[in-house]
Amino acid sequence: MSKFRLPKITFWRSIVTVIFVAGAYAAYARFFLGFQQSTHLADAQPWGLWVGLGTLCGVGISAGGFAIAAAVYLLGFERYRPVVRASVLLSFLGYLSVVTGMAYELGLPWRIWHPIVMWNRRSVLFEVSWCVMLYTTVLALEFSPSLVEKIPFVGLRQFYLKWHHHILIALVLVGAILSSLHQSFLGGLYLLAKGKVDPLWYSSYLPTLFYLSAVPAGLAATIMVVYLCNRSMNARVDPNVLAEMSQIIAPLLYVYAILRGVDLLAHGGAAYLWQWREETFLFWAEIGLFVIAPVILLSRPRVRHNPNALYGTCALVVMGFMANRLNVSITAFQATSGFYYVPMWTEFALTLATVTACAVAFHYAVRYLEILPKNAPVSKLVAAV
Amino acid sequence: MAKTKAILIDITKCIGCMSCEKACKELHGFPQDVEPTLSPTALTVVEDHGDRFVRRMCMSCQDPACASACLVGALKKTDLGPVTYDSSKCIGCRYCIVACPFNVPRYEWSKLVPFVKKCDMCYERQVKGQEPACVEACPVQASISGWRDEILEEAQKRILLDSKYVRHIYGSDEVGGTSVFYISDVPFEKLGFKSVSTQPMPVLTANALGDIPTVVTVGGGLLAGLYWITNRRKQVALAEAQEASRSGGRKDKGHV
Repeated sequence: MSKFRLPKITFWRSIVTVIFVAGAYAAYARFFLGFQQSTHLADAQPWGLWVGLGTLCGVGISAGGFAIAAAVYLLGFERYRPVVRASVLLSFLGYLSVVTGMAYELGLPWRIWHPIVMWNRRSVLFEVSWCVMLYTTVLALEFSPSLVEKIPFVGLRQFYLKWHHHILIALVLVGAILSSLHQSFLGGLYLLAKGKVDPLWYSSYLPTLFYLSAVPAGLAATIMVVYLCNRSMNARVDPNVLAEMSQIIAPLLYVYAILRGVDLLAHGGAAYLWQWREETFLFWAEIGLFVIAPVILLSRPRVRHNPNALYGTCALVVMGFMANRLNVSITAFQATSGFYYVPMWTEFALTLATVTACAVAFHYAVRYLEILPKNAPVSKLVAAV
Repeated sequence: MAKTKAILIDITKCIGCMSCEKACKELHGFPQDVEPTLSPTALTVVEDHGDRFVRRMCMSCQDPACASACLVGALKKTDLGPVTYDSSKCIGCRYCIVACPFNVPRYEWSKLVPFVKKCDMCYERQVKGQEPACVEACPVQASISGWRDEILEEAQKRILLDSKYVRHIYGSDEVGGTSVFYISDVPFEKLGFKSVSTQPMPVLTANALGDIPTVVTVGGGLLAGLYWITNRRKQVALAEAQEASRSGGRKDKGHV
């Protein structure tokens, strides 16, 4: 009956198409021409944008899922229940993007299963790979009811959901522990690069710092995504919930800033704080975006309770977080390696295409599944603002 | 540790003839081009530092960073001393290159099926009792090889007996000790040698990895406990609400 209709050409669809075409070419270059034709990686910078942006930022920004799931299911913060599914989906897609990234990041991606059978318990990367494998599975299970409840067979659906209900708490608990481990171990990877990482970023507390920065970034990303769904889709989440969530971010950033500062003083990194060099500028850009600006902005109720301002502030947190991960993985190596790494456009294109695919998936999930409350009453505060 | 093999490179003796490079390339079937730095087809190179020549190669650390970094255990410190690379295990993550304190491993960036390349101190030759190809090729014995303790003793003897030498054997305790030693009459830092800690690199990550059981038990216990409290509160609240609705009904009647 229904005739095939060509999709309408809209602004966002055109952008997405351009990104996917560029990504497709970049994938071709990576797999059929090799690293040398698709990246500016070298022995002096063996991990570049794909690791720094794709993996480190991808995993970090996906920390919201475990934090919010744990807050709601384990700690009883029922207020956040409306955003649990969105945060879990965001994390799940984030981890899928990281796993997809492995396909082009690894030199021999068809051997990605090797860590399952070839163990090296002394390797931080081994622990990370196991945690990511297990946690991606946990996220798939946590997310699964959203799909299963659309299954038309009542018996199967109820059987699955009942079974899922029994293990949900265990899943959330295991997820929180796995996340805590690998969020910090991503920082732990760089412990071995002592002598190569600039003193502004090297610390024996890198694991703790990575963990403490991932949680606020994950929360900020969740707030941003929910805000966007509220604004451009049929989602109706009480902005008060987002404002409340944002109140957790500032204290987390305080804790992070204090540890970072004390650690810099203790390690002697503080001597580099005022030197006239690129590293210092990028360090202060990171601290300004990630800590100083958000802490000031979030202390003002007018910012917290204005959805637009809150969105912008959370964007600063996420950008600052990304600056940190890129600094640790790229900037911090420049001085010692003597190699100035600027990614090739294909590196940007592949990561961007992967992230865009996740954004598109998120969009359709929110539209067709029960991810966010769709017709909840509009908050009084919106009216007040 | 059982007896292990080692190499001593005496910078005062090297004449820069590059016989070692040629022998290495021949053994591995690499093209005989002269390369300025280590590369996938140059596992040892002779660097020209003005009037001194420094031959670079994998240091074969006693407790190698690369072997601890490799998630699939492709890099291994053998009982004989050399650090070997099993290309059939490697997944191409390149963490070994990030980890190596001496910037030795090289990646085949230009290949579609790229592997890591580094010197393995001619492990297969040494198993058969032969010397590493580079050592065998050296016409002036600037490189000698043998058992690690004997080689170290020889190095000590040389720097003690001849005052021209710097009183340090590079590699004797760098990163916890290596299997390639250098002695020189020019300060090492002037020849591009990195000053590294005497602590074995894997210690840096061992502490973090050692925290796993604590995180799992304490974190898991804490979260489980918090969940128990949350759940208990919910049950109490529910029971109280039920109680209130039952008795509350009666009270209302009483008040009225």
